Amino acid sequence: MNEFLQVASLSDLPQGQTLCVEIDGREVLLCHTAEGVYAVDNLCSHADARLCDGKLKGQKILCPLHGAAFDVRDGNALTRPAITPIASHSVTVDDDAILVALTD
Amino acid sequence: MTEKTAAPGSARAPGHTVASTLADDTRQVPPPLMEQSFEFLGDEDIPCSRYTSRAFADLETERLWGRSWQWACREEHLQDVGDNYVYNIGPYSIIVIRSEEDNIQAFINSCSHRGTKLLGGEGAGYSPQLTCPFHGWTWNIKGELESLPAKWDFPHASAETHGLHPVKTELWGGFVFFNLDPNAKPLVDYMDVMPEHFSHFPLEQRRIRVHVQKTLPANWKASQEAFMEAYHNFETHNAPNGANTQYDVFGKYVSRFIHNIGNYSPESLSDYPGDKWRDPPLTENELLQMLSIFGLDHDEVPAGETARSIAAEDLRRRIGKGLGVDLSAVSDCMMLDSIEYHLFPNMFFFPGITVPMVYRFRPNGDDVDSCIFDLMILEPLPEGAEHPEPPEPEKLSVEQSYTESEALSWLAPVYDEDTGNLDLQQQGFKTSRKPGITLGNYQESRIRRVHMTLDEFLQE
Repeated sequence: MNEFLQVASLSDLPQGQTLCVEIDGREVLLCHTAEGVYAVDNLCSHADARLCDGKLKGQKILCPLHGAAFDVRDGNALTRPAITPIASHSVTVDDDAILVALTD
Repeated sequence: MTEKTAAPGSARAPGHTVASTLADDTRQVPPPLMEQSFEFLGDEDIPCSRYTSRAFADLETERLWGRSWQWACREEHLQDVGDNYVYNIGPYSIIVIRSEEDNIQAFINSCSHRGTKLLGGEGAGYSPQLTCPFHGWTWNIKGELESLPAKWDFPHASAETHGLHPVKTELWGGFVFFNLDPNAKPLVDYMDVMPEHFSHFPLEQRRIRVHVQKTLPANWKASQEAFMEAYHNFETHNAPNGANTQYDVFGKYVSRFIHNIGNYSPESLSDYPGDKWRDPPLTENELLQMLSIFGLDHDEVPAGETARSIAAEDLRRRIGKGLGVDLSAVSDCMMLDSIEYHLFPNMFFFPGITVPMVYRFRPNGDDVDSCIFDLMILEPLPEGAEHPEPPEPEKLSVEQSYTESEALSWLAPVYDEDTGNLDLQQQGFKTSRKPGITLGNYQESRIRRVHMTLDEFLQE
């Protein structure tokens, strides 16, 4: 696993919201749900739509193009047309700082 | 068999009645609950084949599900423009969308190019437009064709000819209803007394607290019929009350039972086997003990009170505080009782406070022998409060127990009992040498009413 890098402030990410950040040239979507802050790749595994244009509902991120849903906690594809999971990254929150370590 | 001389359907359980319990309420009971409406509907057997026949189910698909008003979701599932809800009934699938701030529309979930479902699965989603995953044809959320790749090859396709097929919708009580028949009469024509009665019980002022969706091993009608009478309480639930439940049939489409909780009539069990709960009858303290599952402050009935009055009082305070809602003027009946309205063909609404459920039973795809049972708990919302995001349904398979849903709490074992006979019944239909089932003239009259109205739909 890569090292944790500070990528955003918690104050910029209220619960129920998402925030797209770039880490090493890779777009990562931060999702603040009732269960905590999670990070997944920003691109849908079906047709590469940017998930930051979709919507966070509960623990799901919904793709703006075909409505595919992914579990933001582990990146699993929940509904068709997506069948491949998206990468999920480790997150820690230290006071106001959100730190992410890319999984690969 | 002493009631032989009485007109069929006129006999009732001995002992006190629901009406007499409501007359003793510590608060004013809402007028609709004082109404009674019953007439004898016949006593012929109902053919078992209605629950098991492929041909009968196919006719239902075409003439019932294709023509009747049903709810797809709650308005709170569609809070923002672009929010959608996919709902499936038999082979049919629709997409309900909040297309504008103050407008909800529905469309057939099928691409006007080569038919593909635009959205798979079922439930709540979001999409600022709808794009077919096959070739990428795209519609806006009002169902208008916006774009298609290689337009040069489709001079015969345009916004005029290839919009999404609209489905009729109406809103009632915070539910989004739809009807697949473009010529359907308005929803209100199929609701008998419900609009008037529920003006006293505004369901739009409630939120989904719990949503459990379980597959049941019986035809959708057999499954819902397990919830339309309290005659089964004695045997299925080992419970004393139910025999003096009141049943009302308000018209072709709406029926009701009122089942008092916290009291019972020992006399109502006079021809039941054994002396259980009859001799000696339960004391008020024993009745209160049975209600302790609700979470009460009292464990003994104070002098001058009854189990019913003190339980209602504890619940007014406890639930009112928990929800931030003033329940001080709410009747014992609304606080405690199981008050169940059925709306044809497959919907149940409970206006009560402690027993505030909504049920929906529908075929499981094209399987005659199983169904999907949606169970929601609709909790009152404080005045002016916004609806929170609704929970995702907890899905339970045939094999799973309701106790796997923590949110159902004390209700879970009750639903396991209610649904525990269904597999036996569905299989029993098939081995029966008797061609039909027999119904009680009064206690099971609501079941007969549904079959009569169903026949009207199927024969048209």
